[in-house]
Amino acid sequence: MGSHNMIEWVYIAAVVAILTWVGADSWVIEKYIDEIPEDAETIKVTAQQWFWTFEHEDGTKEVGELHLKAGKAYRFEVTSKDVIHAFNIPFYTAMIDAVPGRINKVWFAPDQTGEFLIQCREYCGLLHSQMRAKLIVEA
Amino acid sequence: MTTGEESPIIRTSSRRFAKGLAVIVIIMAIGAGINLGFADFWHKFPPSNQLKIQEVKGGESVVSTGVTREFELKFVESADFRTLGFNAVTGEAEANPPIEVNVGDTITVKVENGGKMPHAFGVVSNPEDPNTIVFKAAFKSASDPIKSGEKGEVTFTPTKEGEYFYICTVPGHSLQGMQGKFIVKKAEGAAGGAVAPAKPTGMSHSFDFAFTESADFRTLGFNAPKGEPNSNPEIRVKAGDSVTINVINNGKMPHAFGIVSDPENPNAIVFNVKIKSADNPILKGQTGSVTFVADKPGHYFYICTVPGHPLQGMQGDFIVE
Amino acid sequence: MVLEIRKPRPLWEILFSTHHTDVALLYTVSSLIFLFMGGTLAMVIRSELLFPGPTIINDPSIFNRIFTMHGTDLLFLWLLPFAAGIGNYLIPIMVKYKDMAYPKLNAVAYWMIPPGAALVWLGWADIGWTAYPPYSIIRAPGPAADMWIFGLKILGLSSILSSINFVVTILKCKHPDLPIMKVPIFVWAMLITSFMILAALPTFTASLIMLYTDRLGVSGFFNPAMGGDPIAYQHLFWFTFHPEVYIFFIPAIGMAYELIPKFSRKPLFSYSSGVIALILLGLIGFASWAHHMFSTGLSFIEKTVFMVGTLAAVPMSAMHVFNWIATPWGGRIRFAAPTKWVYGGIALFFTAGAGGVVNTAIPLDFITHDSYWVVGHFHLFVMGTISFIFFGFMYYIFPFMTGRMYSERLASIHFWLMFIGAILTFVTQHILGLFGMPRRVYDYVSDPDLIIMNQIASIGAFMMGTAMATFLANMIHSTMKGKPARMEDPFEIGEQYYDYRRREPHH
Repeated sequence: MGSHNMIEWVYIAAVVAILTWVGADSWVIEKYIDEIPEDAETIKVTAQQWFWTFEHEDGTKEVGELHLKAGKAYRFEVTSKDVIHAFNIPFYTAMIDAVPGRINKVWFAPDQTGEFLIQCREYCGLLHSQMRAKLIVEA
Repeated sequence: MTTGEESPIIRTSSRRFAKGLAVIVIIMAIGAGINLGFADFWHKFPPSNQLKIQEVKGGESVVSTGVTREFELKFVESADFRTLGFNAVTGEAEANPPIEVNVGDTITVKVENGGKMPHAFGVVSNPEDPNTIVFKAAFKSASDPIKSGEKGEVTFTPTKEGEYFYICTVPGHSLQGMQGKFIVKKAEGAAGGAVAPAKPTGMSHSFDFAFTESADFRTLGFNAPKGEPNSNPEIRVKAGDSVTINVINNGKMPHAFGIVSDPENPNAIVFNVKIKSADNPILKGQTGSVTFVADKPGHYFYICTVPGHPLQGMQGDFIVE
Repeated sequence: MVLEIRKPRPLWEILFSTHHTDVALLYTVSSLIFLFMGGTLAMVIRSELLFPGPTIINDPSIFNRIFTMHGTDLLFLWLLPFAAGIGNYLIPIMVKYKDMAYPKLNAVAYWMIPPGAALVWLGWADIGWTAYPPYSIIRAPGPAADMWIFGLKILGLSSILSSINFVVTILKCKHPDLPIMKVPIFVWAMLITSFMILAALPTFTASLIMLYTDRLGVSGFFNPAMGGDPIAYQHLFWFTFHPEVYIFFIPAIGMAYELIPKFSRKPLFSYSSGVIALILLGLIGFASWAHHMFSTGLSFIEKTVFMVGTLAAVPMSAMHVFNWIATPWGGRIRFAAPTKWVYGGIALFFTAGAGGVVNTAIPLDFITHDSYWVVGHFHLFVMGTISFIFFGFMYYIFPFMTGRMYSERLASIHFWLMFIGAILTFVTQHILGLFGMPRRVYDYVSDPDLIIMNQIASIGAFMMGTAMATFLANMIHSTMKGKPARMEDPFEIGEQYYDYRRREPHH
């Protein structure tokens, strides 16, 4: 190990320090994201080739569109009827896979009103590119 | 290995290289030829597990007769546990009562374990083989049995006529006496009000439907996506008329056709009218047709039987007067 | 076809030869053919994505087949065979042995590639190169998907056989006077790659069998309708394929270690640092697979464990980069094509790695997973780093293979067009991903930002396509009519080149 300079050790230490910071910061933030608030309203999301259906807590069903209220927390219980899809609201970075035989959960609290895109983020066959829905957030 | 004199180096000539290139190009051309020559072959077949699903479903879908029948069966054992039976030990008068039902009836069997041993219930085609369950009519199993004193029930619809058996599916119990006849007869008459099927009128109609999709594939429909003019036209015929339906898939997605009593249930087929199915669909550009006699009046629906498609707009009224 | 000693041999004798230089030639030439086939598909994909909606392809299922074939072909038929080819050329020379340990097995391993490739290319499956169930089990049409499975199984077997050959050659056939800590680092790289293949690939072979029996319906490993779990496949798949990305990369690391000291005309900064970093990378590479699965519903602890495992592999790569910068520091650098490619590759490697650290930060992965960010990230690796270093090495080995020199001017054009094109395409794709564009789509939302970025990416891709056409022309023309190279030192470095007399086959 004769040619190991001090400079290489310093450099590696700097790299490790940056990575440790990335890891620690991610841990803290993920802990926050992972815990779904108690008062979040549950929306059941069902993915199937190649459209989305939603069911509110009171039994109201929507196909291809989802109406929510701003300022409230919502928990999505996402599953699929056939192949793996992924439920994604890019504007609010809500993202979780829809796996048949399993219910995955993700939550968000929309703070802006308007119309947003819901899309599929896991290749699911012929019309994966077209598998979109509309999120409408009202005041 | 090489001593003294240098071996001569021979660098390749254009001709030799061109020969090598030609070999490569010819092989690639042959490959492309095989691929394109059998272009529709490579993606022709759905996975075999999909074909099996059709078999498991038990073949034809049936019209529900609307009739519900309930039966109560109790597992009983002789004192020495050597003879068993339903309701009474085999040999006695009330043991293993024969059950007769119609195709399409909704059957509920309530079972109670009146013995000390564990039991399980099933309707089978072969009384010696607990694995030949039909109509999904089974409650618990040998590996997960009904314990002494416990009760349970199973509800199912017989879809095919024939002579079947209800047994205890714990190995050996059927032979020890726990089996009875379960006879399924063909349904006669329509649901509920038992209206007799109309005689053929001799009138025949022909309807053409095209499966269509909106540009964003979110709204579907027959002839036009739902909401547009001419979408999902209402069909009216008289009971007894002969109807021919021709379909063509003008969309990109796979579809299938059926006439049902309930638009949310692709299995509630009436008049046995279906063209292909969700597991074996009509692909883009393909056509199909079916001819039948609409012999029972009622308000039915023509739908695409691929799950979700009626919800996205592929349904219309089919009224038989 | 290429340089011969004493007399020109007929083509069939070269084809069926078991000598390591002939098998290496077969590997290298086939891998280049598949490179161009996969690259053409890339040009088609980028043409389609110039505008939203159908552009040149009307049927989405054709697009789905194209991206499946593009990925499958380039990963299994370009990256792996090219590394095996260069390994075959150089390992026996570097360990001072007459051939590979098992010459006939060597030839058999090569000849499994054409049938495997034929199965994959005839079928044109549409399952994506990852073949996730349940889609690949319950929806993907046959026989295409079944042929893909069988083809990959044959290719996997070929990899395993050639790995056995490399391990035995390096460990057992090495010259007795040559200590293991004095062999070139390229040998270490191939040794560690081979061990990783032996450890990682069998899991994928098992997964392929399970996929196939699931497709037949006799099993339900991954089919929820039969009680199976689709996520189980992802665990098995990525347990193989995360180490596999290191398997793709480590031979390129070895090649960089071969090129940099020579072209800097200075000894390697730290041999032991390089060896240790490679060994650690090979081991830690097995600890990070589920970072591909952060969005499947893993528990918090699982996600954390794999984030740590992924981050742990980064310092090793940093050690390599340090070596590669410290070595030419203060040296007399010879700027020929190989030098440019290696340094271009290292620059893009740094960018790729930085993007990778973003992905491994769990909350950020929910933004980037399955979006175009990931596409940009891994392309910066497989094209920007690995393929760049491979191209550099291809130019370096060209005189050894053909006895002639390539055109340095065309090589320079090739490099600069590729480098600029790679940045235009792959860095832009990172931003596309942040804007939410999913991957594996032939259509995207008609948003002006998305359209402009896709067009920039496509322009970069067309630049790369042009560059590769230049490469092809250079290779063909130089092989036939290039200036004869000075075989002792074709690059005028003042260092010994590889002994061309090895081209004489012994059997």
